[in-house]
Amino acid sequence: MEYPMDKAILNGLRVLDFTWMLAGPYATRILADFGAEVIKVQCAKTAGGVESDLTGYFNTWNRNKRGITLNMSHPEAREIALRLTGISDVVIENFSPRVMSNWGLNYENLKEIKGDLIMVSMSAMGQTGFWRDFVAYGPTIQALSGLTYLTSFSKDAPMGLGYSYADVIAGLYAALAVLAALEYRDRTGKGQYVDISEYEAMCTLMGPAILDAYLNNNEILPKGNEADHIPAAPYGCYRCLGMDRWCVIAVFNEEEWQSLRHVMGYPSWSTNEKFSTLSKRKAHADELDELLGQWTAKYTSEELVCLLQEAGVPAGVVQNAEDIARDPQLKARDYFMKLVHPALGMVTSDASPVRFSGSVSDDWKTAPLLGEDNHYVYTELLGLTENELSLYLQRGIIG
Amino acid sequence: MGVKEKKDVLLMGIKVLDLADEKASFCPKLLADMGASVIKVERPHGDPSRDIGPFWKNSSHPERSLFFQYHNANKRGITLDLEQSVGREIFLKLVNKTDIVVETFLPGYLKNLGLGFEVLSDINPRLILVSVTGFGQNGPRSKYKSCDLIVSAFGGSMYVSGSPSTPPLKPFGEQSYYTTSLFGAIAILLALRRRTRSGNGEHIDISMQEAVTSTLDQVMVRYFYDQVIPERQGSLHWDSSFCILSCKDGYLLLTLFQQWETLVELMDSEGMAEDLIEENWKDEEYRLKHVDHIIEVLERWTKTHTTDELFKLGQLMRFPWAPVQSPRGVLESPQLKARSFFVDMDYPQIGTSTKCPGAPYKFSSGFLNRRKRAPLIGEDNISIYGTELGLSDEELQRLSSLSII
Repeated sequence: MEYPMDKAILNGLRVLDFTWMLAGPYATRILADFGAEVIKVQCAKTAGGVESDLTGYFNTWNRNKRGITLNMSHPEAREIALRLTGISDVVIENFSPRVMSNWGLNYENLKEIKGDLIMVSMSAMGQTGFWRDFVAYGPTIQALSGLTYLTSFSKDAPMGLGYSYADVIAGLYAALAVLAALEYRDRTGKGQYVDISEYEAMCTLMGPAILDAYLNNNEILPKGNEADHIPAAPYGCYRCLGMDRWCVIAVFNEEEWQSLRHVMGYPSWSTNEKFSTLSKRKAHADELDELLGQWTAKYTSEELVCLLQEAGVPAGVVQNAEDIARDPQLKARDYFMKLVHPALGMVTSDASPVRFSGSVSDDWKTAPLLGEDNHYVYTELLGLTENELSLYLQRGIIG
Repeated sequence: MGVKEKKDVLLMGIKVLDLADEKASFCPKLLADMGASVIKVERPHGDPSRDIGPFWKNSSHPERSLFFQYHNANKRGITLDLEQSVGREIFLKLVNKTDIVVETFLPGYLKNLGLGFEVLSDINPRLILVSVTGFGQNGPRSKYKSCDLIVSAFGGSMYVSGSPSTPPLKPFGEQSYYTTSLFGAIAILLALRRRTRSGNGEHIDISMQEAVTSTLDQVMVRYFYDQVIPERQGSLHWDSSFCILSCKDGYLLLTLFQQWETLVELMDSEGMAEDLIEENWKDEEYRLKHVDHIIEVLERWTKTHTTDELFKLGQLMRFPWAPVQSPRGVLESPQLKARSFFVDMDYPQIGTSTKCPGAPYKFSSGFLNRRKRAPLIGEDNISIYGTELGLSDEELQRLSSLSII
């Protein structure tokens, strides 16, 4: 049987990609993984830090894309950007709201060049509103959305997530928006403009807590790993044998509770009346966690979780980066793959969580070097002559 | 950008059967918000996610779950028992009329019922089946039970959240279900595009663990490129660029290194820069090494201000600072109000309407910002089984008495 190539799905779709950092590149990476020709536009002067082509970060979020340089601060660069727009289906950017306008590249300008263009602007706060020009990174958005406050053990010690999650969420919503706009364009022949706010994107993932605050007027407090609204007990994170090793256990029903008792060897405390039903166990969760934690601490997380899951009790190993890199489950599904980068050598790339059964993705490539595809894009796609290209390069317009 | 005619809806005509429990019910909701027609198929006594709180007036009841309400708005709802053969026959009739089925059963469950992808695909070759599971359809852990806590542990979001003196900390609010649902919705739209060309549907296999691992930003990158195992460090961002400090009235997230001289000037103008005005602090390496001291001095300053003062002042000077807001603060956000982010949703079960988070995108073609509340248990049985599938009243009566619907 011949397997369909994942990359065939968006074959023929061209995306002019002005995004940088994480949120935007995460969105266009998804499009590139499935075959869109994503042309990442960089300026040699600003391609430093996480936008440097020799960093692992850049290479991770920009795989499968093409890369060109264009110095937008040069007055003649606009004309080239417009010509590139003319041969693209999608233009996407995640600058502060004023940047594209200042370059004369807002949607009104671009749709004159390409009538059915889909343009997606990703920003922290959206293109409108009092805060439109506010500066925000992932952690800023997480703080504003309530996620940081609620991901804490106490309201007097806010912690939040150890990574920039909101950027990824904005990226996922942006990829979804591009695909929905394509569906619409296929049916109606019309392009459109999409304004995405990362702040709003993060707030959509706080829905039940927001409804609770609005309808019940409840003060919602951080509860660490407690089950809170989840009908489960025991439920939590428990210490295991070894340095900083932990497991999680979540018991939802009577059957799972009896299985847990069985694996524990029916300790006498587990027969106590106050642990006899789910609601009683929830009411005495602190005591239950303490007793359960004394038991889990005698085992390695891996062996314990294996025993529990075999007995039908939901349990998991709290994995660190090294555990994940060596995870047999991820290995069985080829979640990590090796790619060869022209400067960095052999590198590891993650697969897409979007899996089509039987399909293959063995034609992936690493991120482009700075300006790697200048020749292809400017001469073959845009039709510049060799002379024109070298003139633009010389004058620092393409650069 | 108001409510448009039906022909203009983004995903007009796309039909979805939603068999998903809490793990992926947000996936069909994303499509419903974009105008797809979604039917929630619940077991006869209702979906188990109706037991998840918070609840209206804090009292547990299947029609009062705000969790269920939020994840199932804009859908219609029917009940059906797939474990009875008559139920399965009806399900196949529904499959014949749909584009997409989303399910969250353990791998093999549908196959054992005689409802595997091959069977469904024989009936409707254009069908796209989305299977969301904890760990995917294959591999040594494929049969493991899962929930948000379990996949947050295996997926890596917990280990790096929390502080060195606390256990690992799970991100609040079932985040793995949301990321999984976003990947699921993207997968569906990709499969629809392939179907336009090939005419065929396909089976999509989404692992919640993989969805979590792919949202970890720098965590795996640093492991693979720098041989570092990222650890928990409280509110201090992994590269020490951000930290949370206390103010008079709450907490503020602020940067520690960005625009250093501006920051020191700000503090110095109030006589609170202490030794940070000295020359050696201009060296970035030095600052990184002595970040604890910077935090101490900064916090003495932030404690003399309110979060709002410093948020405004910081943003004026282009610092990406923000108050650590509670959900109450989110509801009162002037920016979200200015963009009409919250939409009204009728909620007749409780005799009122509610404010509900809307969509994070504004499409210039228009976006159906309607909010129909989630269906009651079996609310649309008669219209869908009767009117759309053509079952007679007697048949409906019989199915109901057999607890099939």
